[in-house]
Amino acid sequence: MIEFSIDGITVKAQKGETILEVARRYGIYIPTMCYVSKTTPCASCRLCSVEVEGADGFVLSCNTPPTPGIKVTTNSQKLHNERVNIMKLYDVNHPLECGVCDKSGECDLQNKTLEFGVDTQNFSAKEQKRYVKHWNLIDYDPSLCILCEKCVHVCNEVIGDDAIEIYFGGYNSTIIPKNSDTLDCTFCGECIAVCPVGALVSSDFKYTSNAWELRRVPAICAHCSAGCSLEYDVKHTSLESNEDKIYRVKNNYEYKNLCGAGRFGFDFYIKPRKNKDEDFNKAVDALKNAKAVRFSSIITNEEALILQKLKEKFGFKLFNEDARLTKEFYNNFASTSGKSLDSVNLEELSCSDGVIVIGTQIATDNPAVRYAITTASKQKGAKVVYFHPVEDKLMQNVVNQFSKYEVGTEEGVLALIANELLKNKELPNELKNYFDNLDFGYIEAESSIGADEIASMSLWLKRSKNITLVAGNDLVSHDKAKNIAKILGVIDRYSDVNVLIVPKDMNTIGVSQICELDKDDENLDNVVGYNDKGDFIISSMEENADMIVPAINQQEGTVVSIDKKVLPTNVALRFDGYTLNDIANELGLNKELTIEWTKELGSIKGFKEVDFDSLENFYGRLGEDIRGYEFDIDTDLDVSLNLDDIDDLPEYNGVVIYNANPVLQFNRYTAKTKQLPKEAVLRGSKQFAIAAKLNDGDVVKVDIDGVEIKRKFEIDPDLKGVVGINPTFDLDFEVNSYRFKKTKLERVEQ
Amino acid sequence: MSKVYFSTWRGELVDNRGLPKDEWKESEYNLPEQYEEHRASRAFIGWDGVSIFDDDVDVIKLATEYAAQYQIYSEACGRCAPGRWGGRILYDMLDKIARGEGELSDFEHIKEIAKSMQLTSKCEIGKTVPNPILDLMTYFEDDFLDCINNKKPSKHYTQDELDYIAKITAPCMDECPSHVDIPAYIEGVRDLRFDDSLMATRQTMPLAHTCGRVCPHPCEDACRRANLDEPISIMELKRLGADYETDHGFGFFHPVEKKPSIGKKVAVIGAGPAGLTGAYYMAAEGIDVDVYEELPVLGGEVTVGVPEYRMPIDRYNKDIECVKDMGVNFITNHKVTADEMRQFEKDYDAILIATGTRLSKKVRCENEREEIKGYWGAINFLDCINLYEKFGIKVPKEIQQKQMLDKDYVDLTGKTVVCVGGGFTSMDVVRCSVRAGAKKVIMIYRRDEKTIIRNTTYEEYHEAVEEGVEFLFHSAVSKIVTDENDVLQKLIVSKFELIPDPDGGRPQLKKIEGADYELECDYLIPAVSQSANFDFLPEEWDLEMTSWATLKTNGRDYMTSRKGVFAAGDCEYGPMTIVNAVGQAKRAASVISRYVQTGEITLTDEEIMEDHLRKLKVYDKNEKVTGWLPGLPRAVSEKLDVEIRKTNNREVNLGFTQEEAIAEAERCMRCYYIAMVAT
Repeated sequence: MIEFSIDGITVKAQKGETILEVARRYGIYIPTMCYVSKTTPCASCRLCSVEVEGADGFVLSCNTPPTPGIKVTTNSQKLHNERVNIMKLYDVNHPLECGVCDKSGECDLQNKTLEFGVDTQNFSAKEQKRYVKHWNLIDYDPSLCILCEKCVHVCNEVIGDDAIEIYFGGYNSTIIPKNSDTLDCTFCGECIAVCPVGALVSSDFKYTSNAWELRRVPAICAHCSAGCSLEYDVKHTSLESNEDKIYRVKNNYEYKNLCGAGRFGFDFYIKPRKNKDEDFNKAVDALKNAKAVRFSSIITNEEALILQKLKEKFGFKLFNEDARLTKEFYNNFASTSGKSLDSVNLEELSCSDGVIVIGTQIATDNPAVRYAITTASKQKGAKVVYFHPVEDKLMQNVVNQFSKYEVGTEEGVLALIANELLKNKELPNELKNYFDNLDFGYIEAESSIGADEIASMSLWLKRSKNITLVAGNDLVSHDKAKNIAKILGVIDRYSDVNVLIVPKDMNTIGVSQICELDKDDENLDNVVGYNDKGDFIISSMEENADMIVPAINQQEGTVVSIDKKVLPTNVALRFDGYTLNDIANELGLNKELTIEWTKELGSIKGFKEVDFDSLENFYGRLGEDIRGYEFDIDTDLDVSLNLDDIDDLPEYNGVVIYNANPVLQFNRYTAKTKQLPKEAVLRGSKQFAIAAKLNDGDVVKVDIDGVEIKRKFEIDPDLKGVVGINPTFDLDFEVNSYRFKKTKLERVEQ
Repeated sequence: MSKVYFSTWRGELVDNRGLPKDEWKESEYNLPEQYEEHRASRAFIGWDGVSIFDDDVDVIKLATEYAAQYQIYSEACGRCAPGRWGGRILYDMLDKIARGEGELSDFEHIKEIAKSMQLTSKCEIGKTVPNPILDLMTYFEDDFLDCINNKKPSKHYTQDELDYIAKITAPCMDECPSHVDIPAYIEGVRDLRFDDSLMATRQTMPLAHTCGRVCPHPCEDACRRANLDEPISIMELKRLGADYETDHGFGFFHPVEKKPSIGKKVAVIGAGPAGLTGAYYMAAEGIDVDVYEELPVLGGEVTVGVPEYRMPIDRYNKDIECVKDMGVNFITNHKVTADEMRQFEKDYDAILIATGTRLSKKVRCENEREEIKGYWGAINFLDCINLYEKFGIKVPKEIQQKQMLDKDYVDLTGKTVVCVGGGFTSMDVVRCSVRAGAKKVIMIYRRDEKTIIRNTTYEEYHEAVEEGVEFLFHSAVSKIVTDENDVLQKLIVSKFELIPDPDGGRPQLKKIEGADYELECDYLIPAVSQSANFDFLPEEWDLEMTSWATLKTNGRDYMTSRKGVFAAGDCEYGPMTIVNAVGQAKRAASVISRYVQTGEITLTDEEIMEDHLRKLKVYDKNEKVTGWLPGLPRAVSEKLDVEIRKTNNREVNLGFTQEEAIAEAERCMRCYYIAMVAT
């Protein structure tokens, strides 16, 4: 702790904190134009200069840590004059197009110009002709750009794309794509979010609305399990129509991130069909007669609870393999870890100084996890060791070691990792014996992970004191998931490494905790599909379903995120039709509104008995997540250490495909949005093409859990190895099985 | 001393206006009054003032051009609001006045903007560009007002025939023998753009891993931050970029794209730091380079001299691979002969000699003979250790025999080793001896602790002491005593005292009579200095030598007395640092790349300016630094614990953690300056 004073107030700084950070923590205002909390300081605007007694000249507060006893002044006539001068410079030749600029009304340049009263310009610089760049979903106008560098910092330090940079040229400086003529990135759009002026804008939103006309609806992103906070900006469609439309999505960019699917994939809302009453009645009947309901995890806790209550009432089965496997996984994890759920959140992951990733293509499975790993790597110097059969090119600039294991051998690989992490730890005898008796020679041979790779992992993590292991969905859906989960539990409990299990979908955790799920292995008639396949389909995703229910952004309710938080989401757009709750009412569960079920969740372990309307939904001034509440995790459960021997690792010979989605695609919601690229092709390396006897452009039949689909095949020069990548986002059913498939790829005539 | 018409350089006001030339008062600084041999300077303008050598110089135009150079050169900056826009406005308004269209208010606005830039700019370039401009506006106010009031162009505005040559520098860059763009690579660390950081380093220094670990960092003695608190840990921040490239398995981030072959060939003799560097930059220019190396391994003294625990070979190999990646051809195990050199002269368009200094000098004592068993030259001693430790190459039988080794590697278990030295090589000898299991390791040095630290580094000395090396200061071996089999038995050591020089020079050593004593030991390793071996040079070339028996060049273009034959590194300078060898070889490569095309020996303006600034000295240790909070301590990286490290070759310096590195980089004040000469 360093004690010093700011404007006469005694303050204390933690190690590594800057003067600006301390000031903000104490609520003392220092103006900035280029500062964004989640990156290292850009230090370009110079507005945050302060005076320190005894030090000549101004001191920059954003990148200077305090020394004991200094007396800082944040405002004086001298400082004010210089800040005014800086604003004068910022305003020199800035195009006077506020009338049409997207940013007008929420523009930092406008705000600071007003704040410092710059109402005249008494000098100028030579004008220069500059052209707007069109970078796909993003437009860049260099003449509006104030070169604060926020976009560049965020892209590199938090997202990890490192796709833009400054072209240095003094007055001619500009933002350019890095190592490319046009912008080649994952289009997260964080650059738009952090841009304080109208230089970087969404090409779709551009010139469609003034900021102040938009109504802001705080909500949760539907596309993966990260539970990212976002804000739907809503306004009427046109002067003729008072029907609302989502114009854009914004996020709390100061502290949090949003990927491109969340930002640009917002138009997945749906309209009820004309004969909605008829559909409704059919749906009621279908449910009454249902033998089972099969549903996806992209629903709210309240919907899940309604389905559970209906199950209790009508005795049908509830199918959701994703949540059921996840629940089992947690149970097995709990049996060795003593914790009902893993207890790491993304904030903690981003502060790790060592990361192990296994069983996922994390950059596309869960971009928020990727951003946390990027932050850890770039800002904390975390060493990242990544185990997977398919190398993830997007992660190269953060990954220190990539180890390729044989498809199917995750259980063995994890045992090797566990054995290494538990070296020199006090272990109960049964664990010691377990590891002593494992045939590591066999495991190494079958998994192709040699002792040298494990030793190398240890070398990388040698100096790490705060390591997180990120476990992906390949593990949860694995045949050996039971033992895998137990090994993860052992790692979590007995090593210094904390485990983060990445849930598959928006509300996988919530559903797994709320519903009593049945194994989906019988061929039943009268299955009602709820956002999934069935004989009668109720869906918010399919226009041609038997009954349409509102999409996630047309509903209010809660979900449980990867951070194990119960988060509220709100209605961005009205839905003039029936909901699941309406059906439930008809079937005798009497709640007028879906959100009346929020309080009922309290009867389920981990949830609280609180009204929906009392849940907060915002971030604090310093980035504290004040949304919803923490899901309560049991951390002192009984432990039993009966792990399975590892002696039959599966072999995947021949042609193998991996079900994984491309950047920006996740599910049928993202598949139907206007802005996101949605070509669903099977991709493979040259080597894969040879092994599968395919040529670039061939159309093949692919078997996905018994369903045959057609896919165009493309050779992807970025891929290596003999595993092809098959997307599933466009399929009209959920794929919850182990993501690697041995398959025959039959060529079909086009 | 320089003859000036007018000067405000470094606060010294010399004003000879109105005086006849022979009465001009001189400036005490080494200003670049003569740009080149046949080209005089008219004016010099920079961060610390302006000097005018010719009374006909148009000062308004001079100020305008300086502001213009800030625009052109602001690739190095242009990163902050005051600098980016302020610099442009400064230029626009100065030019307006120079055109004859200026208003009085412009004159005032320039002052206002200049003040803001001085106070709030991000780096020194923005803070200092206004300095000489304001000097000119102050001392030549009448000239400015004349243009403004009479609406007329400045005196040579339309027929300006002067050349303006500008260069970016910084105190650290100037002091670095390789002139590495240090603020740029530190900025790369601060911005977490490690690829940019590495490319900034590699513009003038291909051995980023190496000089991020074992450079004696003269730059840190010229770090302006020392004027405020402590110098930046410049050297260690260099390795972050290199480690980033290696640790993530990227291809090599070259600072330039290799040019297509220009059909010229150069032979480089020696694959040490100088040879590697010369080869890298020549290959980048499209020259086909063959490097001949006598040893079976590449890398020269850094490979066979510098021990593994200071410079892990897998990291150095990355530097070497980077050179290979530029398309350099290496021929190892090839000791070049005089006949070959004659042939090379015909086959190649130029030759760069970079053979270093690989002969250990004697300690100069009684009975000192090469054949004594246990007398072991430092170079050979370190060759034996490093070739075995890094490549598994065993000690040759004849050396095993001579040095009484019972294993095929250097095992000193139970032995007492005495090293005579005081420089880096001797430190390597004693610390390697500790790791080879020696019972006792003693360093004999004629002077004191302070001097040994100055000759090496504080860390190096401190770590050796920690590892148990005994230092005998003010001592020298006066006699070697051997037994009947000519095996080293003991040494007679004399003691000295330092007699201070009343004129403030280096203190004199005076032997203390009767203080001699005996010191029993198994090995005496002379590591006092090295000399070059030139037995491969054709006698008839009769290359001119320095008094130190190294190849003579003019120290600017690195050509020897024979046309087309160049020399760089220790064989030119004498045993010196890696960074010195790199700097020389980089310059030589530049000169050669023009020589092979034109047959002329030339320097670029950049290089001429570099030499001028070096003479002038950019760093001013008395300057008062403003605009920064003093008292922020220098980051110190974690070292491997002495008990863990002294029995093995693990890298001792673990390097900065990311947070330490960022914090340290944030201390850098980006002391870029622009200097400009008008000729």
